[in-house]
Amino acid sequence: MGSPFDINGGACVAMVGKDCVAIACDLRLGMQALTISNNFPKVFNYAPSTYLGLTGLATDVNTVSDLLRYKVNMYRLREERNIAPQTLANLVSSSLYEKRFGPFFVSPVLAGINETTGKPFICGFDSIGCIDFAKDFIVSGTASEQLFGTCEGLWEPDMEPEDLFETISQALLAAVDRDALSGWGAQVWIIEKDKVTQRLLKGRQD
Amino acid sequence: MADRYSFSLTTFSPSGKLVQIEYALNAVNQGVTALGIKEVLISTYRSPSLSKISLVTPDIGMVYAGMGPDYRVLVDKARKVSHTGYKRIYNEYPPTRILVQDVARVVQEATQSGGVRPYGVSLLIAGWDEGVEPQSEEASTEEKPTTKTGGILKGGPSLYQVDPSGSYYPWKATAIGKHATSAKTFLEKRYTEGLELEDAIHIALLTLKETIEGEMNGDTIEIGIVGPPADHLLGFEGVEGAQGPRFRTLTKEQIEDYLTNL
Amino acid sequence: MTSLLGHPAGGEGIGYSFSQPTAAPVKQHGFYPYTDNGGSTLGITGSDFAILAGDTRSTSGYNINSRMVPKVFKIGGDDETGEGAHIVLSVVGFAADGNALKERLDAVVKMYKYQHGKPMSVSACAQRLSTILYQKRFFPYYVTAILSGLDEEGKGALYSYDPVGSYEREQCRAAGAAASLIMPFLDNQVNFKNQYIPGSGEGHALEQKKAEPLPQATVEQLVRDAFTSAVERHIEVGDHLQMMIITRDGIQEVFHPLKKD
Repeated sequence: MGSPFDINGGACVAMVGKDCVAIACDLRLGMQALTISNNFPKVFNYAPSTYLGLTGLATDVNTVSDLLRYKVNMYRLREERNIAPQTLANLVSSSLYEKRFGPFFVSPVLAGINETTGKPFICGFDSIGCIDFAKDFIVSGTASEQLFGTCEGLWEPDMEPEDLFETISQALLAAVDRDALSGWGAQVWIIEKDKVTQRLLKGRQD
Repeated sequence: MADRYSFSLTTFSPSGKLVQIEYALNAVNQGVTALGIKEVLISTYRSPSLSKISLVTPDIGMVYAGMGPDYRVLVDKARKVSHTGYKRIYNEYPPTRILVQDVARVVQEATQSGGVRPYGVSLLIAGWDEGVEPQSEEASTEEKPTTKTGGILKGGPSLYQVDPSGSYYPWKATAIGKHATSAKTFLEKRYTEGLELEDAIHIALLTLKETIEGEMNGDTIEIGIVGPPADHLLGFEGVEGAQGPRFRTLTKEQIEDYLTNL
Repeated sequence: MTSLLGHPAGGEGIGYSFSQPTAAPVKQHGFYPYTDNGGSTLGITGSDFAILAGDTRSTSGYNINSRMVPKVFKIGGDDETGEGAHIVLSVVGFAADGNALKERLDAVVKMYKYQHGKPMSVSACAQRLSTILYQKRFFPYYVTAILSGLDEEGKGALYSYDPVGSYEREQCRAAGAAASLIMPFLDNQVNFKNQYIPGSGEGHALEQKKAEPLPQATVEQLVRDAFTSAVERHIEVGDHLQMMIITRDGIQEVFHPLKKD
């Protein structure tokens, strides 16, 4: 059997713009070559301007997103405040490393704006919690190679929200169209300070 | 009759009291006075080698009244829990309230567990928290319709008291130990809203002078402050983003200076 | 990454020092004649030109063998320099096979010219290359080839191959180590995939942006952008970018520096 990361398929990408960030994912859920669902979003909301994308083994995507939902809820109740993107990043990291020798087969991607500083923040993780702080973009999933190519080619610094939306959408759609395990529509979130726009992209249905 | 219920801590007396906890409070009330005004902690009667004011995290410190050995155990546990329960999870130090809650839990567990006795100390814990909202000169009065949870949005100094029962209270200013009542009465008269750090130290020393017997000098009292980041205490410089501790104790000389100006 | 030099672990069981020798010691032999030398190639055509490009790095594993091993060759030229050629071949994969394939095709195209008294057309050359590759169906040339030139109408022509001779004429193609990085970028920027004309309609009526041949300057910039991007994220790509620009005036070969890390 192949890698657990490649069984269900899926792709996710986050990008930084000027005072904004974007995160996007495809909608496919498969079992090897067989598509099971075309409505399986992989991005989850943990604070008003903080989102986390999870690709990899679908059962672990569900488990990890629920586990973090529990942890973030406990954080909010204890601290009476929303979790900051940087803090969530470290929570994700320590939660994954807890399973160092029996990891969740997920590759998380985090995007958000820090409420205090107003600065955009993105980062990615490997399955045991090593954080990849990037200034430009983070990719993950079965189309990660393709996404590296498209993002590296299309991304530029200080994009306005509208440009950022177009860039991340084109980067994701172009990438998943060259990956048999990803695609079947996509969802995109554009996160600005005090404003979040969610869009649904149809994309190729094959 | 009372001693029949004083063997086991997990046994209530018919009047609804846990008398061991009352006894622990008695130990506290015989202890050396300690007082705090938001950003200042003061303790009297320093012993030559053991300081009574301790750093828990770079921005939080505490002082006690009561039994010294119990206090040092609690300092150890507070430092430990600030890492295991917070820094190792979030890679940042706990806010003051969270640390106080964690310490209070440790103290409470000693009132409900078998084979242990309560801690014979009351603590004053002072710390500084980053606010959720960006720091501004004047707090803006307009309320934005956001999904804010209603927690600490402003940031700044805070002061808490933790008792042997595990109860904890936020204070603007308070005192524990011997003469605590009279010290609190004095503080109540002298405290005003929005005190500067220097004024707070001054009032704290005045309070101490009015309420305790014995001489006050750099050898007999200790002062801990919650002030601006003390970058000179980092031990290095030139690292971007590095911030010195906000909680620090004053030197003997600094204390003497404040005392001469009293 | 497939290691073509790796030897399979001998299945001889646990070797205790005191174990009795087995009846007949079985030894496994392996023969792995292939290496992946990394690198990437890319071809894009226009209305009256074609560009074939490749990086010049040669690797084996994490080693860099050389920073200047060209992957793009003129085919059927009059002399050593390839002067007079009108067809270009790029090969990426196992460099030794690539070289052998290039030599073979070069000889074939030259023989064609001697025997027929006219230069071989690109479409004929494309078919012939397929045959050459398929002849070694069970011991293939371990390469991904791209063949390029101008067709009978003078339009840019580009044919891409798999190692055993399947081929197809295309507008653009990336091959080699960074193919998966470059190809979706090309889909989007050359064939305008997923791009729609704003305001052309709602839902299914929305009109796709038509792919039209791009001007030469645009294509050159796309090729350079594609490679600088690939170099950024793929360790087997780098050092120099070799570009063959085929127009009716002949073949122009240019080199650009790429990052050497």
